[in-house]
Amino acid sequence: MALPNQQTVEYPSFKLVIVGDGGTGKTTFVKRHLTGEFEKKYEPTIGVEVHPLDFSTNCGKIRFYCWDTAGQEKFGGLRDGYYIHGQCAIIMFDVTARLTYKNVPTWHRDLCRVCENIPIVLCGNKVDVKNRQVKAKQVTFHRKKNLQYYEISAKSNYNFEKPFLYLARKLAGDANLHFVEAIALAPPEVHIDMAAQQLHEQELAAAASQPLPDDDDDAFE
Amino acid sequence: MASTADPERKEEEEAAAGDEEDTGAQVAPIVRLEEVAISTGEEDEDVILDLKAKLYRFDKDGNQWKERGAGTVKLLKHKETTKVRLVMRQSKTLKICANHLVIPTMSVQEHAGNDKSCVWHAADFADGELKDELFCIRFQSVENCKNFMETMQEVAESQQKKEESKDASDAAGLIEKLSVEDKKSEEKTKEEDTVADKEEKVAESEKKVEEPASST
Repeated sequence: MALPNQQTVEYPSFKLVIVGDGGTGKTTFVKRHLTGEFEKKYEPTIGVEVHPLDFSTNCGKIRFYCWDTAGQEKFGGLRDGYYIHGQCAIIMFDVTARLTYKNVPTWHRDLCRVCENIPIVLCGNKVDVKNRQVKAKQVTFHRKKNLQYYEISAKSNYNFEKPFLYLARKLAGDANLHFVEAIALAPPEVHIDMAAQQLHEQELAAAASQPLPDDDDDAFE
Repeated sequence: MASTADPERKEEEEAAAGDEEDTGAQVAPIVRLEEVAISTGEEDEDVILDLKAKLYRFDKDGNQWKERGAGTVKLLKHKETTKVRLVMRQSKTLKICANHLVIPTMSVQEHAGNDKSCVWHAADFADGELKDELFCIRFQSVENCKNFMETMQEVAESQQKKEESKDASDAAGLIEKLSVEDKKSEEKTKEEDTVADKEEKVAESEKKVEEPASST
């Protein structure tokens, strides 16, 4: 379900709608998958942002068009309009903010009004934080509504692939579907002239003096 | 499970169980996918280095390092061409974070204030198009970082030798041309040359002197 200005691809693609309260980490989660970065700064999403996200599986490449919607009421934009033709969904809450879990039923209801019977994953984000307000055993909504639940951390990458893997399996009806190594094509030959080489060295020297954003963890997941 | 005395442990067990459990609705699949032949693209290469690491790319606009991925970095040597490339994949999704040749002009530098990480420049092909990137890679130990830096340096030097021996006359011509260009650009940048730069050059030449001694 691509936007008019977005390139379509010859492999299977799905419209994935991501909803949940503002500040629960929807955009950070998508960005993490897109570029690898972890954005700490909070900038509320206005309306919706659509990002294509590709995965390599044992059944070939697949693509999720992630509709990262505004969580904040005042930036909601078209709201239900974004859900139309959604083929799967993620409802996100923040385990360090109880209210965001309390609002899950509302997000679920609104979503299901538009998208009937689609696979949905409930994600409790920020489980890396020590002081949780919503404990794992307190999360029960998914049982009543037949959703899949994952505890995730966009910061530590804990379970960060699970929501996509689950949705892919459901959409394809294949419980054995799994991610495989994306093909690493041979990089072309490059010639770097002296001028470019000097510029790179200068830039590198400057960059080498900048610290890394996260020097403290050693879990390379 | 009800008899578990430690409430913390019980919680952990439940969380673990919840991870594996499929409580999802019975939704009808919307596509039918067939198993396909898988190619990593690395079939004709030998692994000469394989380490866990975290990779960063430099965001020039924001003047800061940004995470690119965490997983496994490999140096792969092609069985026929003997070209060596660096390939890094994100763990779990196995997506490509970096994919570029290790070329003679490549030089891996220390990262200020961190002896588990180092930096270099590359024309990277991770997204299927060449992009100039400054990379920083962080390892779990100082030893791994040292190992990586030394191996990269060795590879870069061996690629240089290979190029030289391949066509000696061509190489001689190139070196002559390079030294002329070098002179020109040196004159240009003379005033910009900092003390630190000079110190680095001295350190580098010292290293070169030391190396043969340490290898015997």
